[in-house]
Amino acid sequence: MWKTTISGLLANKLRFALTGIAILLGVAFMAGTLILTATVKASFDSLFTDVNKGTDAVVRTKGAIDSSFGGSERGRVPAAVLDSVQSAPGVAHAEGFVQGFAQLVDKKGKAMGNPDQGAPTLGLSWPETPALNAFHLVAGRAPTAPDDVVIDNASAKKAHFRVGDRIKILTQGPTSDFNVVGIVRFGAADSPLGASIASFDSATAQRLFGAQGSFDTILTVADKGVSQTELAAAIRRAVPGDTEVLTGAAYTKENQDDIANGLGFFNAFLLTFAMVALFVGSFIIYNTFGIVVAQRTRELALLRALGATRRQVLRSVLAEAAAVGLLASAAGLAAGVGVAAGLKALLQVLGFDIPANGIVVHTSTVVTSLLTGTVVTLVAAVMPARRAGRVAPIAALRDVAVEPTGRPTRRAIAGVVVLALGALALLGGLFGKGDNAVPMVGLGAAIMFVGVAILAPVLARPVARVLGWPSARFRGIAGVLARQNALRNPKRTSATAAALMVGVGLVGFITIFAASAKLSINDTIDRALRADLVLQGSFNGGVSPDLARDVRNLAGVDAASGMRIGSMEVEGATKQVTAFEPAAIGGLFDIGVTSGSVDGLDQGIAVYDKAAESHHWKLGDTLHVRFAASGPRDLPLVALYGRKDVAGSYVISTGTYDANFTDHLDFAVYVKAAAGADTAAVRANVQGLVDTQYPNVKVQDRTEFKKAQAKQVTTLLNLIYALLLLAVLIAVIGIANTLALSIHERTRELGLLRAVGMTRSQLRSTVRWESVIIALFGTVLGLVVGTFFGWSMVKALSEEGFSRFAIPVGSLATVVVLAALAGVLAAVFPARRSAKLDVLRAITHT
Amino acid sequence: MTSLTDAGAGSHTSVVAARTVSAVKVYGSGDTAVRALDDVTVEFERARFTAIMGPSGSGKSTLMHCLAGLDTLTSGQVFIGDTELNGLDDKRLTLLRRDRVGFVFQAYNLVPTLSALENIVLPAALAGRKSDQAWVDTVIDTVRLRDRLTHRPSELSGGQQQRVAVARALASKPEIIFADEPTGNLDSRSGSEILDFMRNAVDQLGQTIVMVTHDPLAAAYADRVVFLADGRIVDEVADPTAERVLDRMKQLGG
Repeated sequence: MWKTTISGLLANKLRFALTGIAILLGVAFMAGTLILTATVKASFDSLFTDVNKGTDAVVRTKGAIDSSFGGSERGRVPAAVLDSVQSAPGVAHAEGFVQGFAQLVDKKGKAMGNPDQGAPTLGLSWPETPALNAFHLVAGRAPTAPDDVVIDNASAKKAHFRVGDRIKILTQGPTSDFNVVGIVRFGAADSPLGASIASFDSATAQRLFGAQGSFDTILTVADKGVSQTELAAAIRRAVPGDTEVLTGAAYTKENQDDIANGLGFFNAFLLTFAMVALFVGSFIIYNTFGIVVAQRTRELALLRALGATRRQVLRSVLAEAAAVGLLASAAGLAAGVGVAAGLKALLQVLGFDIPANGIVVHTSTVVTSLLTGTVVTLVAAVMPARRAGRVAPIAALRDVAVEPTGRPTRRAIAGVVVLALGALALLGGLFGKGDNAVPMVGLGAAIMFVGVAILAPVLARPVARVLGWPSARFRGIAGVLARQNALRNPKRTSATAAALMVGVGLVGFITIFAASAKLSINDTIDRALRADLVLQGSFNGGVSPDLARDVRNLAGVDAASGMRIGSMEVEGATKQVTAFEPAAIGGLFDIGVTSGSVDGLDQGIAVYDKAAESHHWKLGDTLHVRFAASGPRDLPLVALYGRKDVAGSYVISTGTYDANFTDHLDFAVYVKAAAGADTAAVRANVQGLVDTQYPNVKVQDRTEFKKAQAKQVTTLLNLIYALLLLAVLIAVIGIANTLALSIHERTRELGLLRAVGMTRSQLRSTVRWESVIIALFGTVLGLVVGTFFGWSMVKALSEEGFSRFAIPVGSLATVVVLAALAGVLAAVFPARRSAKLDVLRAITHT
Repeated sequence: MTSLTDAGAGSHTSVVAARTVSAVKVYGSGDTAVRALDDVTVEFERARFTAIMGPSGSGKSTLMHCLAGLDTLTSGQVFIGDTELNGLDDKRLTLLRRDRVGFVFQAYNLVPTLSALENIVLPAALAGRKSDQAWVDTVIDTVRLRDRLTHRPSELSGGQQQRVAVARALASKPEIIFADEPTGNLDSRSGSEILDFMRNAVDQLGQTIVMVTHDPLAAAYADRVVFLADGRIVDEVADPTAERVLDRMKQLGG
């Protein structure tokens, strides 16, 4: 039996090469993702190892709050603690550090770097202790005076800064100029993984980052012969109870774990698309093996007649699948190294700067890739293999290969049941309160796709008849034959179309979702934003609160407020909180206050009415919250409001924020012009202020703000399109594969057509249109499923600001046209092969 | 219409539908070369029913394939009417087959996805022409297929399928019809029915038919029988009967 397996593989090299590609591409993407993530992680790991090389123990405050955006917020240690640490036994050196946001401005007045889309712009206090300093001065000296700064060599090179130059630096304080007194490298690199560095003497850093009399961390070096654990224990006995002490090793581990955590999201995001690709690939494996088994019915029956058992036949097919799966996965793994490089380049083009040096391939990557690819292939081949096992010996005597269609009623019922189960899981994930919402939604979507694939053969004839109408009507007999060929084997057409359905379904979903998002954003801006100008800073960086104050003082400005977002703990759970200037809120936004008033917000808190309801809070109640920097606080509930799309669920005043957070950065400033003021003149004034003092800010009017918001959606949309392209590509290969197999099977028929006068170009046209009909069938199925996904997603997020559901007809029509073109593309190779048929040999083909 | 090559034999066109001049067909090369046709010169007159006979491997199918533009000669010439086939590219050969030649094969004559009627008018459909409805009706009635027109080939008996094939060959009013063992897969009753239709097509419709067969009974329907052996024309019989054909066959060792 093994001999027949091997000879079966060898006899159909091309067929299996095409099938293998479907798996190869998915595995390559998966391996590429794993390799890229491992490589990036390795870069960060070595970075943190280097940074913390000399650190034996770390002292900081307890009670960090994990931010909803990753990372955590933590308070500062009073400077006096440094004295206690220094007096602890075993401490050779101890030094306090502060860090914060500091963005360099180049000589043309433009802010350097974009912390939202790349490496951070870091401001640090200069390490005086050599053992704690990972930087090497390549020019100049350490900062000592209040206007001294040391910058990284990469920034210096990029903007041509040299020792002795003046440089403007943006911080949460007033924008100021500094003297470049030194330029540093980080180990062998010009900057630590692309981050820009501005390092000040300790007192200056404390002033700039609002940390007078305190430190973010105190780092210590142990005496010779004192272990990190001993040191940490000794310090712990010397410091107050609200501080925690970690060994240097634990601190490094924590840094590395934070990055691993962040990369985990990134990894999961990309792996999702790899899974989609493999899912699509499994349809193609299923279909190819199904066709091959049908075409080999006589051969299999002969084997059975000669005494092969059912099990042996089944096993020989599965062995073929295993061989194809393993070979394709191995090739995919090799290709994954290239994919890792490609993904990195793609993300860089799209504006995400990823640091990575070299390539890291873990054993786990190898095992996961090979195993996943092989298992997916095997699972997809199980049904065809079972069908092969059921081939009766008598079939050896029958003439034609028939693929049983099964009973349509049973199939329809099965399809609807599976579809309903999928929809249930999907909707349960979206609307339920469960913890595993994301996997539930993903699983539900996959099951729904399978359900539609089961139903598809029932739908194939009527739907393809309609879709093929233009071809039959306008392409003459070639078009008629194309439609008939697409209809003649509904199961095959369906399985082929189903592979494309998955890709198109997700494209349709994300297109609808993005269109709804844009419409909802516009809606929110129209209805809830009263501001005339939005001064956009950056989310991960920020802009000095001085900007809001300066704008407020400009002529023609009625109200201006910065917007900040931070985290706090409410009844044990981390919540996002937004801060505004209470006096300005009413002029700038309509948050739909339902009771109370935001005028009293200075000392209190405003809560989204549905959130208050679920916590049973009433106006006038006192909320017990906890901030990372300041600890527990009681805030009176002064207002309830009905819209959360602008401000989220909790709003406090800027003053409350200042008192309870370490950073004081706004991420945007909203401006309302005074009634009767010339808005153009106001804008010009604001622009002038921004140009000279706050070059990291973009001034936008309402229209520009809408456009910028839409552009963010578009950027993400394009990234997802690019990632889904792979799934579509695999489906196109699947169509080509099916056509090639069908053409092989129809050799005699094609020979006859050629004999009685069908030209090569007519034959190519027939193949092309069959391909287009299959592609359109898959597209229609996909768009129906995608529309459902989009609709349920938008409904599920209606609380989060998705107020509108939009079906972008133009974009979806483009998808249909592109799918038809993909059909044409898929047909190129099979059409050429069919046209090359030798007529005489074809009509005498057996 | 394909370009007409002046064969320098204008007198032939009136009476000769197809002919070969010193036709040679060699398969393979070197020691393994096989001369399937060895200097064959033969003419097929218009409005006549000619049978080509010979033992297996005699070259009769090769001769028909070359005459019909399905295969090309190694040397020599082949003409349909005045058109020399040598040197025509695939496209011109295809159009020639479509517009000027009809085919009836032994089996797999029909496109399974098309109805009987669609199969009958297939050559016209391929040409993008409307077929001559009156003529098509005549043909359909001649082969008695009126009540089977919407059926798919899989819903027809073997004899009905061959009748559809004959109807297709006749429907496009070709200059010549080539039939390759058209009754080879049929029982004798269906077979003689097909042969009757072909005979009628020649007598009443003025068709020209060239049929390859190894069945003396089938050959007896023809006006003339050409005998091939080892790639050469070895004999011919006019107005054959089954007995005379059988005699010749025995002499040829077929």
